[in-house]
Amino acid sequence: MRPLRLVLLYVRLGVMNEAQYRANFFIAAFQSLLSVGVGLAVLALVYSHTPTLNGWTESELLVIVGVQILLGGVIHATIQPNMERLVDEVRDGKLDFALTKPEDSQLLISIRELRLWQAVDIVSGAIVVGVGIARLHSTIGVGHSLGFLLLLLLGALLLYCFWLIMATGSFWVVNMWFLAELFEGVFQTGRWPIGIYPGWLRYSMTYLVPIGFAVTVPAQALTNRLHWTTVVVAICFGAALTAFTRWFWRFGLRRYSGASA
Amino acid sequence: MLPGVPGVVHVSHLTKIFRVPERESGMSAALRSLFKRQWRDVHAVEDISFEIEAGEVVGFLGPNGAGKTTTLKMLSGLLYPTSGEGLVLGHVPSRREREYLRRMTLVMGNRNQLQWDLPALDSFELNRAIYRLPRDDFRRTRDELIELLDVGDLVRKPVRQLSLGERMKVEVVGSLLHLPAVLFLDEPTIGLDVTMQRRLRSFVAEYNRRHGATVLLTSHYMADVEALCKRVIVIHHGRILFDGRLDALADSFSTTKTIEAVLADGERITLRVPKAETSQATARLLAEHDVTDLTVEDPPIEDVIEQVFAAEVSA
Amino acid sequence: MSVSAVRRESAARSMLDFYATTIRTQIQTQFQYRVSLYMYTVGMVAEPVIYLVVWTTIARSQGGMVDGLTPGALAAYYIVWTLVRTMNIVFTPFGWEWRIREGELSGQLLRPLHPIHYDLASFAGQKVPWIVLYLPIGAALSLVFHPTLHPHALQVAVFLVAIWGAYVIRSLNQFSLGMVTFWTTRVGAIFQVWFLAELLLSGRLLPLPLMPHWSQTLANWLPFKYTFYFPIEALVGNMSTASLLGGLGMQLLWIGVGTAVMTGMWRLAVRRYSAVGN
Repeated sequence: MRPLRLVLLYVRLGVMNEAQYRANFFIAAFQSLLSVGVGLAVLALVYSHTPTLNGWTESELLVIVGVQILLGGVIHATIQPNMERLVDEVRDGKLDFALTKPEDSQLLISIRELRLWQAVDIVSGAIVVGVGIARLHSTIGVGHSLGFLLLLLLGALLLYCFWLIMATGSFWVVNMWFLAELFEGVFQTGRWPIGIYPGWLRYSMTYLVPIGFAVTVPAQALTNRLHWTTVVVAICFGAALTAFTRWFWRFGLRRYSGASA
Repeated sequence: MLPGVPGVVHVSHLTKIFRVPERESGMSAALRSLFKRQWRDVHAVEDISFEIEAGEVVGFLGPNGAGKTTTLKMLSGLLYPTSGEGLVLGHVPSRREREYLRRMTLVMGNRNQLQWDLPALDSFELNRAIYRLPRDDFRRTRDELIELLDVGDLVRKPVRQLSLGERMKVEVVGSLLHLPAVLFLDEPTIGLDVTMQRRLRSFVAEYNRRHGATVLLTSHYMADVEALCKRVIVIHHGRILFDGRLDALADSFSTTKTIEAVLADGERITLRVPKAETSQATARLLAEHDVTDLTVEDPPIEDVIEQVFAAEVSA
Repeated sequence: MSVSAVRRESAARSMLDFYATTIRTQIQTQFQYRVSLYMYTVGMVAEPVIYLVVWTTIARSQGGMVDGLTPGALAAYYIVWTLVRTMNIVFTPFGWEWRIREGELSGQLLRPLHPIHYDLASFAGQKVPWIVLYLPIGAALSLVFHPTLHPHALQVAVFLVAIWGAYVIRSLNQFSLGMVTFWTTRVGAIFQVWFLAELLLSGRLLPLPLMPHWSQTLANWLPFKYTFYFPIEALVGNMSTASLLGGLGMQLLWIGVGTAVMTGMWRLAVRRYSAVGN
């Protein structure tokens, strides 16, 4: 249970840190509102020109947008700050501080940072999903809800793995300043059903950058599009990616420790 | 330019007060700070006055937080004084007039003003354009400085690849290309090893000798001041405690003298006696022992300064 | 040699030298970071590709056109968009917080040169490797999406001038925006509103004619249109000679306004910085 205690400790520290900056909460709420507004405006614009997009109606697309915002909140609050700090520390040679602590290095570098107020997006995203479902007038069974939550967690895990793999790349390509931009750009593709993209792009977005699995698949659970085969593939893919990420991290660490003076 | 103003640096009743927010530790204090802010006044510099003439090398001595850097920032135009007046070369620094900026330089220890990814030579070219230096003058000055500091092979490497000491040397070259008349050096030797410190000191002395520049140097290393400055200003808690010749510092402040004697049988005796009793103690020593060598000295300046600061704290 | 007798070069000559040196050194530096530049470009290209795919999908499902724009026209818009977007990259207003904190600002303040020149020169220098990098990407995108693009000579000429006009306008505006940092570090919200307005009213999200009418009217009174939509449309659209030259004139106007605002805000910001310290 030590890992859990460690996580809780860092969460507590993070909250204390963030609570100092009172204005940050209002700013985060405001920014969240703004980005939700933009998303909805774009959606309205698109649907003013067509009734369906790749077979998805406006309400169904609301669910996708909501999931994407929610996951974005998880990423901006927990995953991204940690990965960016990792990249910075590798570049400045300060990673040694984390490596000489008596805790698993991957765990440590993954939980150190918390941008609490970014989690507001989780709430906004959930609300948008709720609105979408309400407008669909369909009944969501317990099974689908559980499936949704499971797939959401899986999606977060997949995105974490992706980020960590990219961040581990900084052991080789020292200057990874572009990571945040790169991810944001590609993450935005998740706003739309992956069916609209041409074949090769679709495959990259599902397996290379697991946006498809992370965003569209959970949304499929809530809009009655989910095949159990997709769930199985998602879980297998998740397990494989997690294992690969761990291996890659340790591989990169060995190189770092060997290479540093 | 204001006519009739004495000295290159003229400081009169200069004061700087900062307002800083206060914050305690712990969860409840953090949450409380969400609703109410506490402020505190910090008197960084308190009513200081001095004059510096052209060509002088003056040392600003004081512990951390004494107000040295704040004073330098006010004199280089980075900070507005809260009250009082400072004039350098007849200019009001905070107006940041182009003509003033071209005639002064501020070098801060541990701070980079050169481009990180480029060889220093490229940054020098940039400075040439910024300070509008004609090419041949620039080249002559640059080569002279490079030679004086012996950085010929360092200036072609990207600055990020240099060690701390090497970086400091090329930074100094970059800051002097425009041959400023006034040099503000803020802790220039901090973090450097002893050899590098000596190098830098001898360079500053040489530059001052060759070009007649006025130098205001802050440090908390006594060695810097001893090596370079005939005049020293001691500052503590924002106030000037002493302004005068270095050798007079001990006279003003120390209350003791050190007597070192070597006896015939090789034994060494060191005594520290109150000033008033120096001749008595010396006489007794000579009378009671067979002395082959005798010196009467002021205690080391460090000890004097330490005493001074300690006295300030308790006062 | 006495310190007091230093000669000076002419101001114009020095300014030119400064820009030339900065641009040259930036080009050298940027080529060192080829890999990261490519990765950054991938992230950047995602945005127009998304918009292109979405609107093309709609066009196809609506019988081949959206508001008169064919997939070919859309492709042309968004592919040129990528180059214009690159030209739009300037120093971010979020960067001022870092500048103040890291002491870089003190360094700038000690020099007898306005910091805008450093930003203008260094980002201009960066554009050269960026543009070189763009060419194969633009070619690749063209192979995939088949844009319809047949500009005549005047359009190309106006385009080449307009992208630099856009660069200057955006540099000035974002510099002024960044000045807000001197009063509060809670700048995120303010900047977001600005960028949101820019996203909607510049033609970045989609070609302005596809936006509702009220926003098109609003866009005519703001500088955003001339940093994005105008350069693109100059090249891919059917603008008359009068409107092409008129657009350049508007760019000039906004450069003038931007310069005035920037100068004023910088002065206020320095006063604030020097009073409060860092």
